[in-house]
Amino acid sequence: MGRFVIRRLGGMVAVLFAVSVLTFLIFNVVPGSDPAQRMAGKNANPRLIASINEEWGFNDSLPQQYLTMMKKIFSGDVISYEGRENVDERIVEGIPATFSLCIGAAVIWMFFGILFGYLSAVRAGGLLDRVLTIVAVAGISMPIFLLGAIFLSYLTYKTEIFPSGGYVEFGESPLEWLEHLILPWTTLAILYIGFYSRVLRSSMLDVMNEDYVRTARAKGLGERRVMSRHVMRNSLIPIITLFGLDFGALIGGAILIEGIFSLNGIGQYAYESLKNFDLPPVMAIVMFGAFFVVLFNALVDIAYAWLDPRIRLGTEAR
Amino acid sequence: MSAAPLLTMSDLRVSFNTQSGRVQAVDGVSLELMPGEVLAIVGESGSGKSVTAQTILGLTRSPNAEITGSAQLGGQELLSASERELQAVRGARIGMVFQDPMTSFNPVYKIGWQIAEAIRAHSGGTGKSEARERAVELLDSVGIPKAAQRVDDYPHQFSGGMRQRAMIAMALALKPEILIADEPTTALDVTVQAQILALLEQLNRERNLATILITHDLGVVAEIADRVLVMHNGVIVERGELDQIFYSPADPYTRKLLDAVVRIDSAPPLRTRRVSEPLLEVTDLVKHFPVKRGLLIDREVDRVRAVDGVSLSVRQGETLGLVGESGSGKSTLSRTILQLLSPSAGSVRFEGRELVGLSRRQMRPLRRQMQMVFQDPFASLNPRKRIGQIVGEPLRLQGEARGGELRREVQGLLERVGLSAEHYDRFPHEFSGGQRQRIGIARALALRPKLIIADEPVSALDVSIRAQILDLLSELQAEFGLTYLFVAHDIGVVRHVSDRIAVMHEGKIVEQGPADQVCERPQDAYTKTLLAAVPIPDPREARARQQALGTA
Repeated sequence: MGRFVIRRLGGMVAVLFAVSVLTFLIFNVVPGSDPAQRMAGKNANPRLIASINEEWGFNDSLPQQYLTMMKKIFSGDVISYEGRENVDERIVEGIPATFSLCIGAAVIWMFFGILFGYLSAVRAGGLLDRVLTIVAVAGISMPIFLLGAIFLSYLTYKTEIFPSGGYVEFGESPLEWLEHLILPWTTLAILYIGFYSRVLRSSMLDVMNEDYVRTARAKGLGERRVMSRHVMRNSLIPIITLFGLDFGALIGGAILIEGIFSLNGIGQYAYESLKNFDLPPVMAIVMFGAFFVVLFNALVDIAYAWLDPRIRLGTEAR
Repeated sequence: MSAAPLLTMSDLRVSFNTQSGRVQAVDGVSLELMPGEVLAIVGESGSGKSVTAQTILGLTRSPNAEITGSAQLGGQELLSASERELQAVRGARIGMVFQDPMTSFNPVYKIGWQIAEAIRAHSGGTGKSEARERAVELLDSVGIPKAAQRVDDYPHQFSGGMRQRAMIAMALALKPEILIADEPTTALDVTVQAQILALLEQLNRERNLATILITHDLGVVAEIADRVLVMHNGVIVERGELDQIFYSPADPYTRKLLDAVVRIDSAPPLRTRRVSEPLLEVTDLVKHFPVKRGLLIDREVDRVRAVDGVSLSVRQGETLGLVGESGSGKSTLSRTILQLLSPSAGSVRFEGRELVGLSRRQMRPLRRQMQMVFQDPFASLNPRKRIGQIVGEPLRLQGEARGGELRREVQGLLERVGLSAEHYDRFPHEFSGGQRQRIGIARALALRPKLIIADEPVSALDVSIRAQILDLLSELQAEFGLTYLFVAHDIGVVRHVSDRIAVMHEGKIVEQGPADQVCERPQDAYTKTLLAAVPIPDPREARARQQALGTA
């Protein structure tokens, strides 16, 4: 276990380094990204630009600028070019909205994804399976921005069942928190429910053909126990893999959904910063997102070991 | 045998709807199982023997299956029983053991847990710890050493033979009246097979346990069966007492099956070959696989000595048989000889030329001289390519022929291996196992090689097909002056085709010599064990041997 953690931490540092260097380099070669020019505004004169360059350290070599920025990000001193605000503080402010969105949506999509996948597999070829297949494919094919727009249009503007976007802290009013999140959760979850139920269905159908499932039936287990104990656990591995990747990525950039429902979380901040070529927040958010992707991949590996003793005890086996 | 039968099956018919139409798997089977007897159902693949056995427990039920007839277990009709009624029979009154112990346990649960699960499924009142203790007793009774510790092991921590013992323990957990064993030893090494058969025999004797044994192997039948049913194409073609089936078979199919058996104790016709130059010389060949572990950088902590200093030579035009059980390193050895794996040390000379250390480019012209025939005729042919492409590929790659010439060449090869020129445009799935193996042989022959390494070429085939393929190989050898390295786990088959035999065990050659000498006067202890474990398809001799060993 100790070795595993150290290995993972090493990998994490390497990934974060590579991602940050890439982001930094891309930003510096994209046309129109010169920060001094943008900060100086429309009435820029060479003296002003020179002084901005001096003040912000844009004259330093690229590696030096990179180092300075990374140091500031990790010490919490990094200031955005646009608006001159503390980036890390803005990210922390965005965390409740983003986490509420992602965790809530994940709970919904895992529950329904697994439920629908299970039902489809058990009734493979039957009417229920066909209906669920159509639902899943519709969910996958529906673009998030379209679905979000439809929900907003019908359920908030026309019928006013739900509030029209925005985020309310859970501590302020749990009920309003819930009301504001139901639509974004649903919108986001519908896509993933489609994916997950399809993946689980095919994975379960594979496992149902395994010899040990026949053994389980031959020893007189009921069909429900055969499914839940012998088929499900072995079918979950691809689901766990997907979940690790999807959830990690979502935390770093639920850009569309936060935008549509004005949730003012990290995704929306990322979108604004990208629009303004604002390097410091972009770097910080990329690092934040990459951290979660790597973290969840490590958790996925731990989950594998928990699900499958051959991985857990692999080194002891002959 | 005057008592009432435990199980009576009459006119069982099972058919399945498939994409290519209705398949009649079982076509009117009737049988009776008497208390305490071992009833063997013998047949080749597709004979319907497994479907018959699984239908007893309702395991073949599906929307695509149509099942008619009757199967009565002590007055209870099983074929029309509800799923819930069947669950009460499965495991409790009829226990079942399957072929492959590697895949028949769920890999994610402990062995003891899986046995306890079977117990608790039938006796709701049994507590967890009580069921676990019972699992320990059961494992102990089937000969698992230190059962109290091993009960918490996962399936992958058990060897194949131990898993099959555990499988039997699980099948016996609720003291069933009937045990159905579906090819229980087919996936096991021959020495392990002997142990499992002895265990089944002992259970039958001590507990008077009625057993239905499904197998394709007449040697296994001769060892433990009382009565035999021979199945072919879904029908029982012959039934009778063990000796009657073996010594006075009435049905032509039974006779064909018995004739096709390659017996270890019968010497093949003597062959005379001129003494010739060695074609292949292997000296002190070593192939180790490092086991790596480390924090950030892996370092080698151990190594698997798959091939550990092997020397052998194969002379022009002869067949060297390489025998070994699973894990002995024989497949690694043949791959290392072909330089498909790079050796850790040692030398491989082909026609006097050193192969070790040659680059891929240097090996390429030599590859055409050495070809390989693989075990699994299903997995080793690309399912999306036509037979003509598969067989012609070596010719095309080596720039030998193209267009019409290539086609004629390939069609000639197909005819030579017993297929027909019209098969050129067909796909692999249209062929039977034996035909596919012929395709594999045609592919190996395409470049007119000098050496063919055949890695278990007949292990996946039915007995009657096996003999045909072996005959084909020896005809081709005579015609083209081929040299064979024949790799197999079945020493009977190896003896049948080889001039000389090398026995491999744990990465080393333990014995090497002329075929008759190795089989009749073995020197090495391991060779002796191996030979003693081979079941002899002759009930009288099997009994004599059991008496000699004190097991009967």
